[in-house]
Amino acid sequence: MLTSDLQALLTTLQMAGLTTLILLVIGTPLAWYLANMKSRFKVIVEALVALPLVLPPTVLGFYLLIAFSPEHLPGQLWQQATGQQLAFSFSAIVIGSVLYSLPFVVQPLQRAFEQLGDSLLEASAVLGAGALDRFFSIILPLTKTSFITAATLGFAHTVGEFGVILMIGGNIPGETRVLSIALFDHVEAFDYARAHMLSIGLLVSSMVILAIIYWLNLTHTDKRLSPKYKQQAEHSIDD
Amino acid sequence: MTIDIPHNIASLAMQINVNYGQFELAIDQRFSLDGIIGVFGPSGSGKSTLLRSIAGLEKHLVGSITLNQRNLINTKNNHVVKPQHRQIGLVFQNSRLFTHLSVHENLHYAVKRCHDNRLSLGEVVELTELAPLLAHNVVKLSGGQQQRVALARALLAEPKLLLLDEPMSALDQRSKAKLLRMLLTIQKKLNIPMLYVSHSLAELQQVCDNLWVLNQGKITNFGNIHKVIHQLNYSNLNDKQTSLSLPIELINNGYGLTQLRLDAEQTILLTTQKYFNHLTQLRCFILANDISISLKKIENTSIVNQVFGKIKQINQQQHNALITVQCGEQDFFVMISQFSVHTLSLAITQQVFLQFKASAVRTFIH
Repeated sequence: MLTSDLQALLTTLQMAGLTTLILLVIGTPLAWYLANMKSRFKVIVEALVALPLVLPPTVLGFYLLIAFSPEHLPGQLWQQATGQQLAFSFSAIVIGSVLYSLPFVVQPLQRAFEQLGDSLLEASAVLGAGALDRFFSIILPLTKTSFITAATLGFAHTVGEFGVILMIGGNIPGETRVLSIALFDHVEAFDYARAHMLSIGLLVSSMVILAIIYWLNLTHTDKRLSPKYKQQAEHSIDD
Repeated sequence: MTIDIPHNIASLAMQINVNYGQFELAIDQRFSLDGIIGVFGPSGSGKSTLLRSIAGLEKHLVGSITLNQRNLINTKNNHVVKPQHRQIGLVFQNSRLFTHLSVHENLHYAVKRCHDNRLSLGEVVELTELAPLLAHNVVKLSGGQQQRVALARALLAEPKLLLLDEPMSALDQRSKAKLLRMLLTIQKKLNIPMLYVSHSLAELQQVCDNLWVLNQGKITNFGNIHKVIHQLNYSNLNDKQTSLSLPIELINNGYGLTQLRLDAEQTILLTTQKYFNHLTQLRCFILANDISISLKKIENTSIVNQVFGKIKQINQQQHNALITVQCGEQDFFVMISQFSVHTLSLAITQQVFLQFKASAVRTFIH
């Protein structure tokens, strides 16, 4: 019996890990674009990104379920490309998680990029650094803490996901049965002992993750980017 | 307005327009780039926009820029060389050092991305006197030290043209003087043409041979720095003054005064300063308000400088008059009241004596 919980843990970690990776790859350019966007459509894109923060997960899950079904275009295209049904698959819960956790990755990155500004990037450009070079030599080291925050929040939020997965993933062991679903199962079966075990595990690990993020923010973040620090750099005593 | 420039001298041709609605920069000119060229203008005249345009950082630019026969941008045929490929250095007003890197790492950042590597890091560190600071965190440096790092970093990228955007505006007078002298030495040694933007004419007068004046987005004057400063005496852009560059004849005459040769018969005395020892020629200026005029040579006076000349021009300005007096090859500018002009019955071609104290002959470090 315990192996089924371990399997759920493994599925959860796989889903959250892959989701975080995808989120970093698509969230970074999106956050950069938003940080530098001056068009009046910016608010609309920002609202779209933030939507999962307020939307009931079941709403997102419901529409994704419809889209992923073989009767609709996204589901059809997926089936043609992979030969497998999208709804109720591991891929489905990863796609759902990416959408659901998007704001948790994009927002901290966007703030960091806005704070970073153009000045150091212009300085590195005139020294001969191209765009990719600037990303790895200036942006990444100076916003490192925000990347860690974004990845951790994205990961933790995906682990805690329930509604979307229930709608589009169902409860297939080894495929879509994640910890939060397993917990729900135990409660429905009145197996409170195992429900407690999973709950305490999730509670403590979430607490630890958040504490680490706040500690990181307190000690590292933006020391280099904060206005006070910048001011100090610009107006220190002269020789 | 084009000037024929021989091919071996660096040149910059610009035909650009940068429009921000309420502000427009419009330049259509070709310049030869020799030594340090000053760019002077009041705030909001477009000085920074001009430098940003040349460096490739200005996104609103329409037109073309050519540096040494290499076309950097031509918006007509969508040709744009990115800033990282222009080989144009830019030292910003606020140094913009990379705060996650040490002084040495900031310098190495430029070396790593430089394709020529004719300059060694050691050589530049020596020129900018940064050796004791190499291991330091850049944020802990003083403003003057930070700008020296920024200058060294820009030099290590081995630019074909170095742009300096008010690099000293946040520094105190002593740091400014030090950096200015450093800049002159570097220019002579490395022979990189530089465009030096400042709103301080005194600063520019020390290091530039030529000056461009930018006003409301247009270049209104350009040429020899002393000539252009004298042209500006007829505008409201700066304090009216006589700008001089004279050979030093005697440093410290025993009374702490230094003697400059004005012409075959006449000399000028001013207060000696330590750095005169390294010089043979001194750049200095005298404010028009600090000079008085008499019709005869005054005997028994404490004023050490009396210069003989001929009135060339009288410009009436409300209750005052700006009088140009020619002493040999040199023009002097004198501001006196209309009352005095009448009392002395001053007229063009009249011969007069100018009086000014040694302390009225100013250098940048005053």
